[in-house]
Amino acid sequence: MALLELNKVKKIYQQGKIEVPALRGIDLTVEQGEFTTIFGPSGSGKTTLLNMIGCLDTPTEGEIRLNDKKVSDLSRKELAMTRRYNIGFVFQSYNLIPVLTAYENVEFAIRLTDHTSESQMKEKVLKMLAEVGLKGLESRRPNELSGGEKQRVAIARALVKEPKLVLADEPTANLDSETAAGVVDIMRKMNKELNTTFIFSTHDPMVMKYANRFINLKDGMISADERRG
Amino acid sequence: MFSFKLGLKNLTRQKRRNALTILVIAFAFFSYLLMDSLMNGMEEMSFENIKNYDTGNIQVTYPEYWEDREKLPLENLIYLNQDMEESIKDTDGLLGVSPELRFKANLNNGIDEVAVMGMGISIEQYNEVFATQNYVVEGSMFAPGESKAVIGVSLAELMDLKVNDYITLLVRTKEDTFNTIDVEIAGLIRAPNPMINNGIVFVPLDVAQQALNVGKGVSLLALKTVSGDEDTATKALTDSFKNKDMDLKAYSWKESAASVIALSVAKKGGIGAILSIVLLIGMLGIINNVILSALERTEEIGMMKALGMREWEIVFVFMVEATGIGILGGLAGCLIGYAGVSGLVKYGYGLGYIGGDGSAYGIPILDRMYGTWNYPAFGFLFVLGVIVALLSSILPAYWAAHKDPVKAIYHR
Ligand SMILES: Nc1ncnc2c1ncn2[C@@H]1O[C@H](COP(=O)(O)OP(=O)(O)OP(=O)(O)O)[C@@H](O)[C@H]1O
Ligand SMILES: [Mg+2]
Repeated sequence: MALLELNKVKKIYQQGKIEVPALRGIDLTVEQGEFTTIFGPSGSGKTTLLNMIGCLDTPTEGEIRLNDKKVSDLSRKELAMTRRYNIGFVFQSYNLIPVLTAYENVEFAIRLTDHTSESQMKEKVLKMLAEVGLKGLESRRPNELSGGEKQRVAIARALVKEPKLVLADEPTANLDSETAAGVVDIMRKMNKELNTTFIFSTHDPMVMKYANRFINLKDGMISADERRG
Repeated sequence: MFSFKLGLKNLTRQKRRNALTILVIAFAFFSYLLMDSLMNGMEEMSFENIKNYDTGNIQVTYPEYWEDREKLPLENLIYLNQDMEESIKDTDGLLGVSPELRFKANLNNGIDEVAVMGMGISIEQYNEVFATQNYVVEGSMFAPGESKAVIGVSLAELMDLKVNDYITLLVRTKEDTFNTIDVEIAGLIRAPNPMINNGIVFVPLDVAQQALNVGKGVSLLALKTVSGDEDTATKALTDSFKNKDMDLKAYSWKESAASVIALSVAKKGGIGAILSIVLLIGMLGIINNVILSALERTEEIGMMKALGMREWEIVFVFMVEATGIGILGGLAGCLIGYAGVSGLVKYGYGLGYIGGDGSAYGIPILDRMYGTWNYPAFGFLFVLGVIVALLSSILPAYWAAHKDPVKAIYHR
């Protein structure tokens, strides 16, 4: 059973009277534990596709199955619960909560899912922040962090709950190559140890180096899909 | 709870806007508390003024007279007998009894004439029940046996009368013939109850009885009790009359003045109206605040949804924030309200600001109203305010939380 299945998924945006096709028939199967990158020119539909997979957006046509369940059959509550327990998002814009510290922004995600003891939770959050290289910056607020640091908080927030599936939209776009490598390392480790599935959109060749699957998106269609052992 | 903490932290965002909302709520609360204090004070003072200068605590009369009392009839008068006197004497807690003969009259100063209420009183007994004598501003009350009159300063001014001037009261006797009472003015009064000052002429009881040809008849007996004892005394008296087969009845001052009821209704209506306005202001303030916050935090809300937060969980965060604003606004309002009411209780509010004495508005208060403390109003308003803040945040917060997450995140 595949973790994720897309069947002739189309997304057409309505801009006034004009129809903008963002995705024009995507067929895709992703197995548990794959480390996949989606690349393609700007406007090719990467973000749209990730939103669709993450149950944030609904396709105009076609069907998405996650965990062998039709996403379109899920209620609002089930959708929320799927996102909460199974999916971690990293957005192009980090969307941190400005009144919360780095620590609290990460804690926020784990509070929603983890019902273990306070001390365990704290340990997890601190460990996660250390892994993305933010040790010592835990009590800073987003406005006291650089773009790259904010991005790493956002990554820590997505990873801390150890979801089955992590969707990341250009996660390394604001990081220098060294930090980017560090972050990808963590993801790679999670992928190995916990069999976490990763789907990235990226232009970064460094990230691509680690991936074992490459999907090329062009004009809302998959033009190439390669696996590498 | 994390959402709770987040809601509280959100309070520190947009400090200026939140402070403004808090201020608006505080000011609305303040206005309400002031009005409430003033209206309660007005009511209390009005009641005191009705009791102390008009009706006494209890009035004893025949039900037939009572029904027609506004018309000042000369029928169904009381002729005191031993049984009545005993009933009154046997009632506990009575501090004074003042027989009164009230009648219609026209006051003539030799040039003009004006309709007034004549009031035949037995001065010593009257002074036991009423405090009017403390407000003689010129001359004095007439002495027992003296055939003089006392009128209010407003009436004196209107009719251009001074102490020692002579006046003529034109009256109709019981038999409907005309008669006059010619008396000298002994004193002018300026009582706290402006109704007394404007249209009453006090004359000795025997003079009035003679002129009206009613023998020893009086309209009613005004009784003084310790304040608060009215109801028990009223009941005791009425029972006592009934036991002796007399038709007389005792009426507490609360039943006597239509204005009392009108005042209470006006007070309740007024306070209710202000309360609605205050709550509406608070509600709009909160709704405005939540909508603006939600618009600013669109991306954040989208992210919360992406993290898997349910809509009501997001609503909860806003509710905590709104309730916080409600609590702060309420506290601030109660605090400045406390200061304001203290001022009103101590220094009062001059009726001069609204143009002269209260009688023009049917309020028996002369020139200065004082506030009273109504502590439950503080608690009531605070609790109500917080509840309204909480409730009014729900709809706009739900509107915000209901947004399509993709649109929210990408601001499209
Ligand atoms: N809400 C929308 N309304 C109209 N058109 C949209 C909307 N969202 C996306 N599009 C269009 O759909 C297409 C795909 O957009 P998408 O954001 O998925 O591209 P992308 O591959 O993520 O690009 P980038 O690399 O620049 O982030 C684009 O042509 C875009 O203009
Ligand atoms: Mg994109």
